[in-house]
Amino acid sequence: MNSWMQQHPATVLGLVLWAIGLLWLMPGRKSGASRTPRTGVLIAVAGLLSFFAGCGKSNSDLASEVMFWVFATGALGGGVLMISSRNPVYGALWFAIATLCTCGLFMLQSAPFLAAATIIVYAGAVIVTFLFVIMLAQQSGAAGYDQRSQQVWPASLGAFVFLGSMAMVLQSDPPRYERVEIVAAETPAEQPGTMVALDPTKPVIAPQPPAIPNFLSRADSKAPVGSMKGLGRSLFGDYLFAVELAGTLLLVASIGAIAIAPRREEGAL
Amino acid sequence: MSVPFGPEEIRILLVAAGLFVLGAIGFVTRRNLILLVLSAELMLHGVSLSLVTFGKIHQNSEGQAFTIFVLTVAACEAGLALSLVLSLYRKSHSLDIRLWSELRESDVNPPDQGESLPAAVSTSAYDGIPKLTPAGVAPVGTAGHP
Repeated sequence: MNSWMQQHPATVLGLVLWAIGLLWLMPGRKSGASRTPRTGVLIAVAGLLSFFAGCGKSNSDLASEVMFWVFATGALGGGVLMISSRNPVYGALWFAIATLCTCGLFMLQSAPFLAAATIIVYAGAVIVTFLFVIMLAQQSGAAGYDQRSQQVWPASLGAFVFLGSMAMVLQSDPPRYERVEIVAAETPAEQPGTMVALDPTKPVIAPQPPAIPNFLSRADSKAPVGSMKGLGRSLFGDYLFAVELAGTLLLVASIGAIAIAPRREEGAL
Repeated sequence: MSVPFGPEEIRILLVAAGLFVLGAIGFVTRRNLILLVLSAELMLHGVSLSLVTFGKIHQNSEGQAFTIFVLTVAACEAGLALSLVLSLYRKSHSLDIRLWSELRESDVNPPDQGESLPAAVSTSAYDGIPKLTPAGVAPVGTAGHP
């Protein structure tokens, strides 16, 4: 751990600054009006930038580099401001920012379909309905319980120690992860032209398919990673039963939501 | 075939871990029911980003396929959580989670004893809500032992 801290001072500094900024911004036990949020935002953003700078130099080109910095800072900064916002409406809007930036990171990781699907599901459905509920429930603005938070210090300490340990594992030198060599498993090819005598006493065993797990999910030149074709082959080839199960799950969840939600005759909100 | 696993992937994984951690902090510390659900969704974003990155590292579509299932479950969870929140709000007319601290097990201390708790909802609000049965067996010789 000491060597990691010496080799990556920017990461450690970033984590500490980020935690300080978050603790500064969190709604306090008292009203917290004495702390200006701008200072906390500056500390947290400085911590975030230092944290990313500690991740090492990358070899990508300038455009994707700029996009990574913008989206990563937006996602994590939006997350910080979401969990520390005193008004839940602003919290939901910061969550929308974090979602959009996460979708940008999806695009960088060659997942354009997922980015679009996530934006549609979250921005189009989740955030809008939650904003409806907030505005319906808190018509007089932020309530008193939004000005307080509970167990901030233990939660932040544990969470940032967890994050630091993950950074330590990911940045360890020599790396503790193993490079996975993807080797196409090949079936032993039958020698052409040889005849195999069938033994009538033994049952005839059908030739087994090649032992490649989830073979439709592998990327090739026709269906590269992230393309609609490759994703569709994976979903409706390897994971067809799981797709059917997911549809069943959606049906059950919608029935359950209708059953739990208040009836009209029980009185409106 | 070598697998690209460089600083780019490492920092994306760290961003994903950061999103997860922020969602966890928000889930533990905030008291608004809606913000609790949104924090859980933030944690799911972190997990999805990790899965997509793993899929890119391994050069297959499995990570993205799993992420679609995560998205499905997140949508189900959001719908169920919304109806639960509405059902709780109709009984307490507040989104404060502290009002429902009586839902804990009976032998657990109330949260954050230093602060004065808000008046809990009336006991009639708990009608029709399933209670947790006391778990485990009381040691021999104590009052709870049969």
